Amino acid sequence: MKKRLLKKSGIAELVAKLAKRAGVFAPVDNEGNTLFQKVIDANSIAKQYVNSKDAPKGFFFPHSETLMRYKRTDKGMELEDDQVAQTKRILFGVRPCDARSFELLDLLFNQEKYSDTYFVSKRENTTVIVNACVEPISKNCFCTSLGLSPTGSAGADILMLDLGEEIFVEFITPKGEALLDCFGDMEPSATIDVQAVRERAATLVDASVPCREIKTTLDNIYEHPLWESIAQKCLACGTCTYLCPTCHCFDISDEVKGDDGARIRNWDSCMFPLFTKETSGHNPRSTQKARWRQRTMHKFKYFVDNFNEVLCVGCGRCVAYCPVNIDIREVVKSVAKI
Amino acid sequence: MESILRKTAKELLEGKKVDVVVGYTQGSVPLTMSPVFITNPDDAERLVFNALCSQNLAKYVHDVISQNRAAQKRLKPEERKKKVVGVVARGCTTRSLVLNLQEKQYTRDEIFIIGVPCAGYVDQKKLSAAVGGTEILDGSLTGGKVTVKTPAGEKSLVLAELLADNCLVCAYNNPIISDITIGEPAKPMNSANEFKKVEDFAALPLEERWSYFAKEMEKCIRCCACRNICPSCYCPECFAEQSMPQWVGVGADATDTQVFQLMRLFHMAGRCVDCGSCVSVCPMGVDLRMFLKKLDKDALDLFDARTGINEKDLPAFSVFKEREKNEEFLFEP
Ligand code: SF4
Ligand code: SF4
Ligand code: SF4
Ligand code: SF4
Repeated sequence: MKKRLLKKSGIAELVAKLAKRAGVFAPVDNEGNTLFQKVIDANSIAKQYVNSKDAPKGFFFPHSETLMRYKRTDKGMELEDDQVAQTKRILFGVRPCDARSFELLDLLFNQEKYSDTYFVSKRENTTVIVNACVEPISKNCFCTSLGLSPTGSAGADILMLDLGEEIFVEFITPKGEALLDCFGDMEPSATIDVQAVRERAATLVDASVPCREIKTTLDNIYEHPLWESIAQKCLACGTCTYLCPTCHCFDISDEVKGDDGARIRNWDSCMFPLFTKETSGHNPRSTQKARWRQRTMHKFKYFVDNFNEVLCVGCGRCVAYCPVNIDIREVVKSVAKI
Repeated sequence: MESILRKTAKELLEGKKVDVVVGYTQGSVPLTMSPVFITNPDDAERLVFNALCSQNLAKYVHDVISQNRAAQKRLKPEERKKKVVGVVARGCTTRSLVLNLQEKQYTRDEIFIIGVPCAGYVDQKKLSAAVGGTEILDGSLTGGKVTVKTPAGEKSLVLAELLADNCLVCAYNNPIISDITIGEPAKPMNSANEFKKVEDFAALPLEERWSYFAKEMEKCIRCCACRNICPSCYCPECFAEQSMPQWVGVGADATDTQVFQLMRLFHMAGRCVDCGSCVSVCPMGVDLRMFLKKLDKDALDLFDARTGINEKDLPAFSVFKEREKNEEFLFEP
């Protein structure tokens, strides 16, 4: 694996070089929210952030996306693919949990039999540069509970480890290596002990949430009073699922004006009353209880059944931002106690 | 005060005077309290009440009662059992309960009000701003101080400076009605300038007002947390979710969001108690209060109406007085 050492003072030059290759998107402070936005120089990148408020999944699976347009003409329907040629992008400063979420989304959107071109083409055109959490401070993070590491490279093309004065850079994939020249030519000396940094970081994150151990319990508690007790105070706002890097439910609808129409795909959320509501008016998940069960089951059982992975990366966004403090860690722990 | 609250709740549950007590409990995130439903008398220990309790719990009272009724829809009337909901209620919460009663959402014997005096609650956005948006690792509330631990060290903040805007000008911070009151009545807040902000805003030229509205609506992601926490928003099916006809589109068009919010706002005329819950749960920091407060002011100026301050009143839009003040506004809006 190729490695580089970059002086902190060299970041400005690095970002400038990257910006010449492709659009660079990084966490930016925006009126109190840290959001992924396009940057042209390193100054606008947030100096200190636990993580962005919005998960970077939106770069591959946008909140609202036109899939195609159609027009009624005398000769019949004219269809038009709305896929504009994909531009190259670099995501700079993604956290390891979010990079891992890209791999989980790949499992669904990029299967051998079914591949979602909208998602896949954006993934292919994007290079992911991860900023490892060498100093994880948030009490809401629990990536280690998922068997992940706060300095892990899953889903990353390039991994950066902040060592204080310098940044230790690892080039994980060929896509990452293609940007090698932007990172200068200083090779790290063999005496730098990144392993110690990694091990220390891992001990700072809460590893006690039994996310991977509850699947067999979930197999047997489709009917259980627990679901009602979780759902009772839920506002059905979907904040948890919209901010979640792994949630990926969508709803397709047509917007038609006169002879012109567009088919759009919007994020959906199992927390919404309209989720899975059928045309007849019937909804198999008509209560918040049923919807919260779906959220838990999808993450910790169905996705495991289908892909052998848990659909959570422990980023803690849903924990931090739920307006009524429904805490998925507590939910998982309650299930484990059954 | 908390010990009396817990004791009261425990006794109510043990004596089967109530089926459930809706209150607040310690949250899992630093400096947050969370709504809780207590049915087991022993769990009454979990109840808390302090300046970090933000949500108006009247919404949950309505939820529990309407869900209980829905579950018994197919039973003969004489077989149906009422559920009595105990609720920890501060001034604004009781105003919502009064409104719900006036609007015949439930009857007085279905609720048991545990009134608590209130000195306002902490606006989490102000709290976050006070520590420069950095991560809050831990914190505590003592007297008039909030101590916050951040990666940069410990900081002591003045509680009074962190209170939500609506609390700062609240004129009804003691329960309007209650079955039992806990603690001494709270000192009044400073409500003299209650409408100052809206008056200033209303004096701006139309274009500026509209662009402010449009800018705020641009932030909105239509999660509907504002509507869902609101005790006055209890329609079983909101127009925003109707699909036949579809009143508002589901895509990213700015006008859809504006229409959604305009409709909701107007449904709040004479029905908003200014509890600030919608603002506190909004994940995007949309300034809904500016517009709600204007409607509040209009209800007062035009109809002499204040939401939920008197059980005997009728809601502003349920009465027609022949000599309504400024009634020409109906004809020349
Ligand atoms: S479920 Fe919560 S903690 Fe897990 S990935 Fe989603 S937002 Fe993060
Ligand atoms: S963020 Fe909280 S209140 Fe909103 S839908 Fe999720 S669990 Fe429910
Ligand atoms: S609006 Fe009044 S009663 Fe309500 S929380 Fe604020 S101070 Fe208390
Ligand atoms: S809570 Fe905020 S973001 Fe959500 S719908 Fe209401 S105003 Fe919009």
